[in-house]
Amino acid sequence: MIGALVLGADEPLVEWDWVSRHTDEIQQRLWQHLSLTVVAVGIGFVLALALAVIAVRWRWTYGPLAGLAGVLYAIPALALFGILVSIPAFGLGFRTAEVALVSYTLLILLRNIVTGLDSVPAATREAADGMGFEGWRRMLFVDIPLAAPVIIAGLRIATVTTVGLVTVAGLVAAGGLGELITEGLGRSFSTPIMVGAVLSVALAVVLDLAFLALEWVLTPWARARPSRGGQR
Amino acid sequence: MTDAPPVADQATATPTEPGPGAAAIRLERLTKRYPGAAGPAVDGLDLTIPRGELVALVGPSGCGKTTTLKMINRLVEPTGGTVWMDGVDARTLPVHELRRGIGYVIQQAGLFPHRKVADNIATVPQLAGWSKDRVRQRVAELAELVELDPDLLGRYPSALSGGQQQRVGVARALAADPPVLLMDEPYSAVDPIVRARLQDELLALQERVQKTIVLVTHDIDEAIKLADRIAILKVGGILAQVDTPEDLLRSPVDEFVADFLGDDRGIKRLSLMRVRQARVSPGPVVAPSDSAADARGVMAAQGTDWVAVVDPDGCLTGWVGAAALDGNAQIADAVPEPFAAVVDPDTTLKAALDQIVTSRTRVAVVVDAGGRYQGVLTVDDLAEGVTR
Repeated sequence: MIGALVLGADEPLVEWDWVSRHTDEIQQRLWQHLSLTVVAVGIGFVLALALAVIAVRWRWTYGPLAGLAGVLYAIPALALFGILVSIPAFGLGFRTAEVALVSYTLLILLRNIVTGLDSVPAATREAADGMGFEGWRRMLFVDIPLAAPVIIAGLRIATVTTVGLVTVAGLVAAGGLGELITEGLGRSFSTPIMVGAVLSVALAVVLDLAFLALEWVLTPWARARPSRGGQR
Repeated sequence: MTDAPPVADQATATPTEPGPGAAAIRLERLTKRYPGAAGPAVDGLDLTIPRGELVALVGPSGCGKTTTLKMINRLVEPTGGTVWMDGVDARTLPVHELRRGIGYVIQQAGLFPHRKVADNIATVPQLAGWSKDRVRQRVAELAELVELDPDLLGRYPSALSGGQQQRVGVARALAADPPVLLMDEPYSAVDPIVRARLQDELLALQERVQKTIVLVTHDIDEAIKLADRIAILKVGGILAQVDTPEDLLRSPVDEFVADFLGDDRGIKRLSLMRVRQARVSPGPVVAPSDSAADARGVMAAQGTDWVAVVDPDGCLTGWVGAAALDGNAQIADAVPEPFAAVVDPDTTLKAALDQIVTSRTRVAVVVDAGGRYQGVLTVDDLAEGVTR
């Protein structure tokens, strides 16, 4: 499937002619790449949030949960795709890719969410309890908002990582920019490889900046500076 | 059983109309044992907190004062005994309802850093589902009540000074007008000057709102200044003595309490008493129209070398020393010097003592709000007040 890339001596790195003839396909691959990433991080975030709430509520579960997420994270991507494809229920395609991608986001997201929730000052939590917040309300209105900067930091790492991993998902015919790269490798043709790689990096940068903007919007309180005014 | 008097509705109880001996909170054999701990944190504590009073729980660290406080709003669940809230067993109330009826002020305020000051204050009304207009109006009222600059309402807590944060903490605790307020070392994180001002503000606030307040502090002077009643706890949550500050200082039940109160109990009692409660001597007084000979007569009779000059309206003009009388036929011819130590009837005896020991005449002159002379206060007068 993956052949060695041998460039002809007079072949340019990028043939712009090819690019202009394949804009539709490139757009489609980019869109698939974005969908694969967003769905994986989205599902991973919901799962990790649920696991983190469990881990914070019942502390003893954190070790086993983090351990399990760690094992998933440690499986080589190529091997995991290979194993999943061989299972009849998965096979080639979107679902297989998502299972693998989601499992890679879990460790990063779980760790960051738990760290974020742990960073909420004890006095703040106690004040919330003392004022009559029920457990779920305190989580929703106090703990999670205060953990937001750390949680978003986790989302940024998970997203950038996933954008990179999605290129491998091209191997299981899930679509995405990886398909361009695979095609280029198969034909020893550098142009689709370059297009896929550059767009993948650009997508990672754009998504990272989007999260940065989200953080800026969601945590205006973190930017508030202590006043220089005297005590009253 | 006296344990369960007719149930008063928590939400509609009006703490401003105290019934005779009505207890807002009663702790009955309250006990907390932490698993694995050698002894109980709180051991069979019986304590009555009368409606509208400020009761301070004080004691050395490890005496269980904070644990006791947290058992009232069930942040800590007792392992034995009962907390009666207006005659209702606190365990029978849904915990969130119980807590929304109890204001809670903690060390370093514990404000929500992600919510603006106004939203911090509005926390409990919002939890209770008040309308937006009603919440906004209440927040404005509270800002005024705790003397918080309304401009600060739109800021985040991190932009506020420690003292301002503590005011917000008090406003937040009072937001839904709970009959009971729990305060856990509220002023320990602010500097002494701000602390003294916040303490004065709390006293003024309590005059207006008449809440039932339980205050935990390690600072006996704070307790003496603020509390109607002080409960002193020993390590292990054992009640050593509960009394008014006056009675506590006058007659500590044992060595432990006496030690805890410190070796300046007499001075501390002076800080509780006002000039109006003390014996005031008439002092050596002359009128401007009196002769120098009259003044010398007054000095001889009073054993002083100076006289106070009081005009016919009763206003104090100053003092004249024996030397200044030489060559003057009348008091009016001498130029009276102003007294350095002038106190009014509301001055504490401790402040008066300070004035006395630093003044040349060894007395503090008492002048009322209208500037009229009331007499003089000597060290003997103060000692009389303390030993009485």
